Amino acid sequence: MDEREIRLRTSWRRLFLKGAIGTGIGVSLVSAFYVGASLRPKVVVTPDKEPLKPGDILVYAQGEGEGKPITLEDLKVGSPLLLAYPMDPKTKVVKSGEAKNTVMLARYRPEDLSPETAKNAVQGIVAYSAVCTHLGCIVSQWLADRGAALCPCHGGTYDLRNGAKVVAGPPPRPVPQLPLKAEGGVLVAAGPFTGKIGVQAKGPCPKGREEV
Amino acid sequence: MYRWLDERLDLTGLYHKVLRKAFPVHHSFFLGEITLFAFVVLVLTGVFLTLNYEPSIREVRLPDGRTVPAAYASILYIDSLPFGAVIRSLHHWSAHAMIAAAFLHMLRILLTGAYKKPRELNYLVGLALLGLAVVTAFTGYALPYDNYAVTATRIGYGIAGSIPWIGSTLSQVLFGGEFPGSERSIPRLFSLHVLWLPLLLMALIGLHLLIMFKQKHTQPRYAERVAPGKILGVPMYPQQLVMMVILFALYVGIMTLIAGAFLAHPVEAFGPPTPNTPAVKPDWYFLWIYGILQIIPSSWEFRLFGATVGPEFIGGVLVPGVLGLVGLLLPFVDARKDKMRYLELPSEHPVRTSVLLALLVFFLMASLAGYKIDFQQQGSLLGNNAVLWTLVLGAPLLTFALSYTLMRVFYGKGAAGREAL
Repeated sequence: MDEREIRLRTSWRRLFLKGAIGTGIGVSLVSAFYVGASLRPKVVVTPDKEPLKPGDILVYAQGEGEGKPITLEDLKVGSPLLLAYPMDPKTKVVKSGEAKNTVMLARYRPEDLSPETAKNAVQGIVAYSAVCTHLGCIVSQWLADRGAALCPCHGGTYDLRNGAKVVAGPPPRPVPQLPLKAEGGVLVAAGPFTGKIGVQAKGPCPKGREEV
Repeated sequence: MYRWLDERLDLTGLYHKVLRKAFPVHHSFFLGEITLFAFVVLVLTGVFLTLNYEPSIREVRLPDGRTVPAAYASILYIDSLPFGAVIRSLHHWSAHAMIAAAFLHMLRILLTGAYKKPRELNYLVGLALLGLAVVTAFTGYALPYDNYAVTATRIGYGIAGSIPWIGSTLSQVLFGGEFPGSERSIPRLFSLHVLWLPLLLMALIGLHLLIMFKQKHTQPRYAERVAPGKILGVPMYPQQLVMMVILFALYVGIMTLIAGAFLAHPVEAFGPPTPNTPAVKPDWYFLWIYGILQIIPSSWEFRLFGATVGPEFIGGVLVPGVLGLVGLLLPFVDARKDKMRYLELPSEHPVRTSVLLALLVFFLMASLAGYKIDFQQQGSLLGNNAVLWTLVLGAPLLTFALSYTLMRVFYGKGAAGREAL
């Protein structure tokens, strides 16, 4: 090291400038993170994306009767599960814009249901959130021989007679049940889901999103 | 004309400096080039697709009266154009070809030890390129917005969301809100797929080639016998260039033939998104992750510093992440002091070769586990979780033992004794 280099190393002016550059870059990076936070889109809740509420009428999610209310007679013991969306009883808006509103319906003989499940059932008809708790696919397949619902994505299988207990596959917990009642022959949600819908966001939930 | 340009651009200098550069020749060296050609074809076909695609899920009415998302309708439109379906298929199959070629290229690097000094950096760039190529392919998956694509992307959204602490924010930023459902997700995935990720890929490919050019290509072993200390190969121009042009023409020809014969991702058959989940299988390069997700039981869950570490994170992020990390650290663990000029023979490195073979068997077995539901529905023994776990863990171990023993028997201790691995 020659003299000039030693002088430069100990120079206060140099040190100050380096510190200023470092602070500048650091602060810019931090502010860039703040701008980056707005990459997360705003959530706009249109009427068709509102969450399911007690009193909503359950309607066909697909097929010929799409958008029509599901009657008690539409469901038979042993026939495949039906997928439904909630419909606001006043505005008649079908809340199909939010996949997490998808509900699955199946009918069993009332004596086959577990006591806990039977409480929320109507004449053997049970309703559950159809959003798989594993990775959020829609549980849409029916295993006729086992009378259970299968998520085709990773093979999660739920026993709908028994609180949607996971009988096979990777889902971490059962899908929540939807209490049902019959009003004028059609199926209506009698209360909120018995638990949280869908995949649980890992880590602390951002404010206001806990119920999603 | 040439003289006019030469006086201004010094083309002769360029010719002697760059175009006469010798390139070693071996058929396995073409794998990287095929990756590059696939990328070129992807960009060209991608331009065509971009010009006709509408990145939106707003509802539009088809001539037949159905109401479908605009993105889906625009794919039907592309398929109806002259050669539209062929170009879309060419894009799809080229994505497969690019990832396959890049993987085989990496395998060649790993088998011959070409990641060692001085090429550690370029090896890392290459790993990043492979990862980026897979991510780019994934962001393109949702764009047709048919039932199959939406379901497949939904799984990716779930996996991204399963990362502890940051998962929710990360998935929201990458997918533009809830997927499916948010109007912003298709525009965001579109922008990532056609602009930002390709730009990043181009920059990294440029860096990859520049470093390769500067450091010179590794040479096959015979070069040491024929001309020790010199680079044995053919000049960039004209010989290497002719080979590249022929290979590119072959690539385009063969892939167009495949694209013309086999329509990729038939959106019309899959139909627009419905609540019904189709039985989806991911593309082959994700199948092993898919398989691991299927055999991890739901009980593998614990809480850590306020976040839940679940089976989706373990199977979908942790296992691939650990493999990637091992890949990143490899050149610094299996290092050598002198600069490498000639490729190492796989037979002289029984441990490394056997580990790679075992890894391949692991990928195959994990992919096999991806068919678990199908096996179960057939009532096959392979539907059993214990059997699949035994295969996924046991088969690679057996492969390693077998391969190591055989290599020691056939290539002897003398050859193996010279090097550590």
